[in-house]
Amino acid sequence: MNKRREEFSDLIVKIVFVAVVLLIWESVARANLFGSRSRLIFPTIGEIGRAFVTNLTIGYAGSSFLIYIANSLKLLIIGLLIGVVLAFVFSGLSMVSRYFYSIYNLVVSVFDLLPGVALLPVVIIIFGVTPGVIVFLVVHAVIWPMSRSVLDGFMAVPRIYVEAGLNMGLSRGRLLFGVYIPAAMSYILSGLKVGWARAWRGLLSAEMIFGLANSLGIGLYINQMRTNLKNAEMYATLIVIVLIGVVVQYGIFAPIEKCTVKKWGMSK
Amino acid sequence: MENTDNILEIKHLTKVYQDETDTGADPILADLNLKVGRKEFLSVLGPSGCGKTTMLRCIAGFETYNGEILVDGVSAAKPGTDRIMVFQDFNQIFPWQTVEKNIQYPLRLQGIKDKEQLQAVSDEYLKKVNLDGVQKKYPHQLSGGMKQRVAIARALAQKPKIILMDEPFAALDAMTRNRLQVELLNISSQEDCTFIFITHNIQEAIVLGDRIIVMSKKGEIKVDEKNGLKKPITPATPGYGEMWQRFHDALEV
Repeated sequence: MNKRREEFSDLIVKIVFVAVVLLIWESVARANLFGSRSRLIFPTIGEIGRAFVTNLTIGYAGSSFLIYIANSLKLLIIGLLIGVVLAFVFSGLSMVSRYFYSIYNLVVSVFDLLPGVALLPVVIIIFGVTPGVIVFLVVHAVIWPMSRSVLDGFMAVPRIYVEAGLNMGLSRGRLLFGVYIPAAMSYILSGLKVGWARAWRGLLSAEMIFGLANSLGIGLYINQMRTNLKNAEMYATLIVIVLIGVVVQYGIFAPIEKCTVKKWGMSK
Repeated sequence: MENTDNILEIKHLTKVYQDETDTGADPILADLNLKVGRKEFLSVLGPSGCGKTTMLRCIAGFETYNGEILVDGVSAAKPGTDRIMVFQDFNQIFPWQTVEKNIQYPLRLQGIKDKEQLQAVSDEYLKKVNLDGVQKKYPHQLSGGMKQRVAIARALAQKPKIILMDEPFAALDAMTRNRLQVELLNISSQEDCTFIFITHNIQEAIVLGDRIIVMSKKGEIKVDEKNGLKKPITPATPGYGEMWQRFHDALEV
């Protein structure tokens, strides 16, 4: 009962905080503190709200903002899938061969330090100006942190589970799926979270810098709003970016955690 | 202990742990020879570091070694389902599977696919270890004693020739430990299975074992005797005190 009350007052505090921030924003917007630039820096909440709607209905250059979102998410999902599968394949191989492990460990350490955007010039030479560039950057963003987590997770699997698995007659390959992956699940999920967050940022930066006219994306949309001085629309886009992040966190990761590591007592 | 019906034969078992810091490594087991009869319950006593656990791990096939270990006359160098290990650690059953799935999983690996049959087997063995109504629970919801019961049920359900037990009750409280001893005694009398049971506890060795050996340094077998007392054995059983004292003295030296 006490805990519930605590949660409730927590929620109230958050709501009050957000309301106060919005109130300050609105009064700054109306006070025209920044003169002629004021409407660009602080559009009123009403304007941002309307921009939110016009983004969806009118959009830009004849395409609704939804199409930009869908396109970004499509490239993101393709990249994430490739990155995650490759991370599992290479980490799995590292468990089989010691040499592969030490080489892959080195590769991960080196490439994890390279921001994807810094690779952009080289990648454009390789792929040309195609959506393949964005996919490549997403793969790059996800594969290294994911591999690091999966490798650490595999290394941390208690020997007793491996021995119990061997005792039951699991072969090396089946040991990977039967023991290593479930036993390392909390590491794998944290790797996924880091990987997804990096991929999401990488995708938006690449889209903004690279701004493909033939590949609509959220980053490109922000840029287009900027060049057209539609700052309310820009803010509305930022809100959408945050909202998508929240949906992924609570709509995808939280349920996965609930029916794996939480259910198994591996995390609180 | 006739030679004709030995399920397990250990010949000249020598094991040296390779340790990079220790160049002149001493063997933990030196030329160990042991025969274990079919359906025998062998208790193994010995001080810490005498190589009991190493011997068990060699039998299970988790270690490389010199010498030979034969199960029904066939070399058993790799792990196999004919020799199932029950560890001391409570966390040996898989936390990502429910209790019944933990028991069914190795059976599915053995090729049993029929759901009803799997269910029947897991129910049967859970009943054997006196666990009912926890089928759908996850291991983290169980107490240590319950987890060890599940581990024993999982081992039995695989129908191994030999169950290797490495102090499975050592981390339990005294009451649970006594209860599990009685249960294990009942189970072992019903099952067609050989047990090798390692313990530090003399009482446990006497209560459970048909035969008791005492190991000392480097796996030397100092005492090897049949347990002639009439089961069930309690401290009040005639002859218990003398036997306890004999093993106690053998362990002291």
